[in-house]
Amino acid sequence: MTIDVKKYPAIAEYAKETAEPAWFTELRIQSLEKAAELELPSFEKIRYQRWPIQLQQPLEKRNVQKELLEENDFEQTENMVVQVGQATLELKLSQEMRDQGVIICDWQTALHEHGELVQKYFMQKAVKFDEDRLTAQHVAYMTSGLFIYIPKNVILKDVFTSYFIQDATTKADYVHHVMLIVGENSEFSYLENLKTIGTEATTANIIVEVIAQENSHVKFASVDRLGVKTTTYLNRRGYLEKDARINWSMGMMNDGKIVGDFDSDLVGDGAHSEVKIVAISTGKQVQGIDTRVTNRGKHTIGHILQHGVILSRSTLTFNGIGHIIKGAKGADAQQESRVLMLSNKAKGDANPILLIDDNDVTAGHAASIGRVNQEQLYYLMSRGLPKKMAERLVIIGFLGPVLATIPSKAIREQLKLTIERKLIDGQKDE
Amino acid sequence: MSKLEVKDLHVSIDGKKILKGVNLTMNTGEIHAIMGPNGTGKSTLSQAIMGHPAYKVTQGEVLLNGENILDLPVDERARAGLFLAMQYPAEIPGITNAEFIRGAVNARLPEDKSLSIRKFLKKLDKTMQVLDMTEEMADRYLNEGFSGGEKKRNEILQLMMIEPKFAILDEIDSGLDIDALKVVSRGVNQMRGPEFGSLIITHYQRLLNYIVPDVVHVMMGGKIVKQGGPELAKRLEDEGYTGLRDELGLDIKLVDEEA
Ligand SMILES: Nc1ncnc2c1ncn2[C@@H]1O[C@H](COP(=O)(O)OP(=O)(O)O)[C@@H](O)[C@H]1O
Ligand SMILES: [Mg+2]
Repeated sequence: MTIDVKKYPAIAEYAKETAEPAWFTELRIQSLEKAAELELPSFEKIRYQRWPIQLQQPLEKRNVQKELLEENDFEQTENMVVQVGQATLELKLSQEMRDQGVIICDWQTALHEHGELVQKYFMQKAVKFDEDRLTAQHVAYMTSGLFIYIPKNVILKDVFTSYFIQDATTKADYVHHVMLIVGENSEFSYLENLKTIGTEATTANIIVEVIAQENSHVKFASVDRLGVKTTTYLNRRGYLEKDARINWSMGMMNDGKIVGDFDSDLVGDGAHSEVKIVAISTGKQVQGIDTRVTNRGKHTIGHILQHGVILSRSTLTFNGIGHIIKGAKGADAQQESRVLMLSNKAKGDANPILLIDDNDVTAGHAASIGRVNQEQLYYLMSRGLPKKMAERLVIIGFLGPVLATIPSKAIREQLKLTIERKLIDGQKDE
Repeated sequence: MSKLEVKDLHVSIDGKKILKGVNLTMNTGEIHAIMGPNGTGKSTLSQAIMGHPAYKVTQGEVLLNGENILDLPVDERARAGLFLAMQYPAEIPGITNAEFIRGAVNARLPEDKSLSIRKFLKKLDKTMQVLDMTEEMADRYLNEGFSGGEKKRNEILQLMMIEPKFAILDEIDSGLDIDALKVVSRGVNQMRGPEFGSLIITHYQRLLNYIVPDVVHVMMGGKIVKQGGPELAKRLEDEGYTGLRDELGLDIKLVDEEA
């Protein structure tokens, strides 16, 4: 197939400005052409198709105003990155990590310096560029991201923390990609913070691909707090080879409309994914969370635990999909989804979906939608705690079983703080 | 000095009349006991004073220092100085005991007078020692998986940390062995003083050997039927509630009565 870049002046212009490799530009165009034919992905009981979720703004290189950054200060750690919009403001990697051959760089650098690695994995293994219209649009319009490569046999105890700040001070789409490749027998902990500055109505399309190679161990944590006017497609996908393990801990504390598509493909025998999600919906926002684990390899383990809370007139949908493919002998698929309602006007849904194509497996599910326990509230208030504070404590208690499983205490505490802040804001609309 | 007055209190649950005109006055510096057979409305009285939403006051009032508190939500009553050690405290997973108690202590202090973590922990530590509680109880989730006795101690721990004006203790003795009873009593006795009053609800006289009341009220059929000093409790222990009922000529069926 020959691709005529000149037919796409905006892409050609952007490619020139960023000097991106020809293969990548060609992939963009191929994706853009495909996008027109592809369908939007569909998720059980999540109707987002009419949201402004599709990308349409032409590719454009944007600079970020320095003033924006000063408003944000970040806890400085030895290993971290701060990106605002398309720009990388800070990237720190300890000597220890460098010495072991760890590569962490922004997307432009990755394309220039590690093109072969990127080309091999980017939207090829975990997520396919032509999977659906949103993944295709992602490739066509992507303008920022992070590339992380951990060579084999590297055990890293320190967490690498990223702060990705969506710039909604202008009406710019945010199209962001994280590619995380963890080599054989390696261990890596990663914490991702998504945030918004500015209040313009914007669209975000974010894809995170995690390739966990044989016997590697990845701890992935995220605290997401995208803004109230940001409409987001957020796809985090793990591709797990033999005996690999990913522990996902995600705090969905966004304020706007969002579809979260969180999948783990347990491809190799003995692969194991633990997915823990806490979510809070407030105001009028809609959050749809579709969490899938597919057991392909033998003796693979996929566990999903998601707890969410809904306030005001908000909506929260949890889908839990456990899919065991024929031949995945000895596979285990378990899931639990629970939603706590604080308001009569809020809408919650917890849908367990088990698709089992083999007999020699274990599988189970639990789902519930409940209200705040009035005796608990009464007890707390009888000690003088104001109602809203008592509610927050009951909520944190409800989320506790998920929070307790987050391996890092620092991340747990940070998430608790974010939850507290989100709840205080959310209770103002009650 | 503060004053708590219950005047002609009528309370229903699910439309069922439980309290039929309770009158009671107490001041700080005093310890009162309410004794009565099971099912007579003792817990109902305590919950109605505290403000449990399921207990509907149909008549009468409850005054704290002359002000009717029945229109106040439960948290405001608590901050006004009331405390109820519950017969069946709720379990709340995910919140540690210490975290919760600190919140409760600070809830009644103005923001600029909040207790620092250090001062709080010091006081908590000291109080837990009085109650023979192990340190790890502070870090456990609020009442979750606590034994009956641990829950009771934890109620008294909160009482001692919060330092209310009036504390109602609802069957704080039930399910306690003699050693635990002594420990709990030690805690309550330590609170005794001119700025503290307590209403102790019990089915048995035993507790009143350790916390000696100034006034004993006997409740039957949703009313206070007799008042006296500590000797009234002793008499009930000897004669039982049926004896008193028959002496007063009351037409009340006691739940525990043998047929
Ligand atoms: N939540 C409730 N719903 C219905 N009836 C109740 C409830 N709580 C208590 N009662 C009834 O009210 C009466 C008084 O109960 P209670 O105040 O608990 O008595 P006591 O504490 O003296 O044993 C009993 O007949 C009991 O069955
Ligand atoms: Mg009772």
